[in-house]
Amino acid sequence: MPQIITEANLRNLIDLLVKEAKLVVGPKQAGSVVLYEPLATGSELNLDALPRRSSKELFFPVCEDILTYRKEGGVTKVSDVDRSRFPETVLIGAPPCDASSPSILDAVFSWDYHDEFYLERRRKSTIIGIACTKGDDACFCSAVGLAPDAQQGSDLFLTPLKGGGFAYTAVTGKGESLVAAHAGLFGNAPAAEPVEFPGQDTEKLDLAKIKNWLDRHFEDPLWESISDICIGCGACAFICPACHCFDINDEGSADNGSRRKHWDACGFSKFTNHASGHNPRDIQNKRYRNRIMHKFKYYDDKFGKTLCTGCGRCIRACPVGIDIAEIISTIHGKED
Amino acid sequence: MCQSDNIYLPNLATIEAIVDETPDVRTLRLVFQDEAVRESFSFRAGQFAEYSAFGSGESTFCIASPPTRKGYIECCFRGVGRVTEALRGLEVGDTVGVRGPYGNSFPIEKFYGKNLVFIAGGIALPPLRTVIWNCLDLREKFGDITIVYGARSESDLVYKRELAEWQERDDVRLVKCVDPGGNGPDFDGKVGFVPHVLEEAAPSAENTIALVCGPPVMIKFTLPVLERLGFSDDAIYTTLENRMKCGVGKCGRCNVGNVYVCKDGPVFTAREVKAMSQEF
Repeated sequence: MPQIITEANLRNLIDLLVKEAKLVVGPKQAGSVVLYEPLATGSELNLDALPRRSSKELFFPVCEDILTYRKEGGVTKVSDVDRSRFPETVLIGAPPCDASSPSILDAVFSWDYHDEFYLERRRKSTIIGIACTKGDDACFCSAVGLAPDAQQGSDLFLTPLKGGGFAYTAVTGKGESLVAAHAGLFGNAPAAEPVEFPGQDTEKLDLAKIKNWLDRHFEDPLWESISDICIGCGACAFICPACHCFDINDEGSADNGSRRKHWDACGFSKFTNHASGHNPRDIQNKRYRNRIMHKFKYYDDKFGKTLCTGCGRCIRACPVGIDIAEIISTIHGKED
Repeated sequence: MCQSDNIYLPNLATIEAIVDETPDVRTLRLVFQDEAVRESFSFRAGQFAEYSAFGSGESTFCIASPPTRKGYIECCFRGVGRVTEALRGLEVGDTVGVRGPYGNSFPIEKFYGKNLVFIAGGIALPPLRTVIWNCLDLREKFGDITIVYGARSESDLVYKRELAEWQERDDVRLVKCVDPGGNGPDFDGKVGFVPHVLEEAAPSAENTIALVCGPPVMIKFTLPVLERLGFSDDAIYTTLENRMKCGVGKCGRCNVGNVYVCKDGPVFTAREVKAMSQEF
């Protein structure tokens, strides 16, 4: 018999985790939109819509202190941030396009120098992914190697069943521990059919073929034609589950303040601007080319992974209608 | 502080000396405050660091002093932005943050027994000055040493006291130049652009390594000259100075194609540079 958890028990699980003083984050109605927010009770979990923003900020916040400094009596002192205070966190209700993002980002934050701000949050987090039934016409996870029911990145994976409840799979040791610690909420039930996943317009793309074209076409008329209209607003990077470029700045006076790491975007005109005024990516189509190259070639060259989960958020958010799914599909279709 | 696993935490250093190289270029000599760091800090010529003025942020500069001179490091920068202006506002005795050393370095041991030609333009002498002094401090290990250095004008030449020292040494050939119109009546160097002056100076490529650093336009016109002089792409080294923030391969802005200047560089051979996506 399949292993299942009823919807009521899933909400009870959230209540229990909150009582255990864990930070439980899941899709929640916030005004007119659904966002990943801390849940106070299980009743706040809203699985009816894809959250407007990705869940990456749980591991990689929009902005965070990386140190504080204070000058006293002419002596400057720098203090580390106490990362042991980062809470034990459970991300619940993340569809594959969000649940898989840390499994992609782990590579960049842990190669060579270790970014302990990201990694400590990762160690303290458990991800309960859920098969996606909310796809819309911007979704293209199936095109980039994922699927509405892909378990990649999830510790525990839920599949909504017809007639209510979820089939569950403990994907990792963390997922097994979570089930074992709350065994009373999980059980067996007669086989039930999964809810149907919405079909996606996009065909499954051969990512190696796309990369192969990118390897050979750093210079190509395509770059101008697709990004001439880009206004460099950076919205695509900010809502992307995989974009991870950041800046470091001080906030405060010379005597007292903090150094902060905060999101940045390769689409911004000053991103690569040299002190001399020279800018290697001086026009928008070079910046947009970098975005595509980073996602489908450079990250693969470096870490063997594609930096895109097909969530479609950049397509929904772009104020001028740039469609990354269409772009990679175009590249995929090129013979040379 | 070094015990922390926070890769963004700088070591603290005290400004021991300030030298104004030009009206807007300044050298800071820095001494680490922590004795253990002072003892253990080591680097290789070509590596860089993130220097911070607290309250303003961090900037990336090479370590401009040579690793052969212990007990301090130097950085050299032009005041052009928020951080560099804040660093210029500091005085002797003030504290700055230093993260590093980062990146690869010049393979100096591979240059033993060879002649060296250094070619630099403007504010790009500091990244080579660390190598120049490194080699001069081990003078017997190298053959002829030639330095071709130019700037827009006489006042834009950095390290003037060291240029004078190199000029007087009989084991260094210094060819100093300024762009046409940048020379005063008493200028004792050549007038012309670096690539032209280099071609005129015509150092032999025989058993010689060329080390080039300068603005992109200077590099662009210098590489063909070196080729005409007979230098192979493997005998030419340069150091790229892309905008950086983290310095450790995370923040995503210093890449040239799939090459991360902060981790794969900043030192590259001309062969490696030519193989990169041309986005400089």
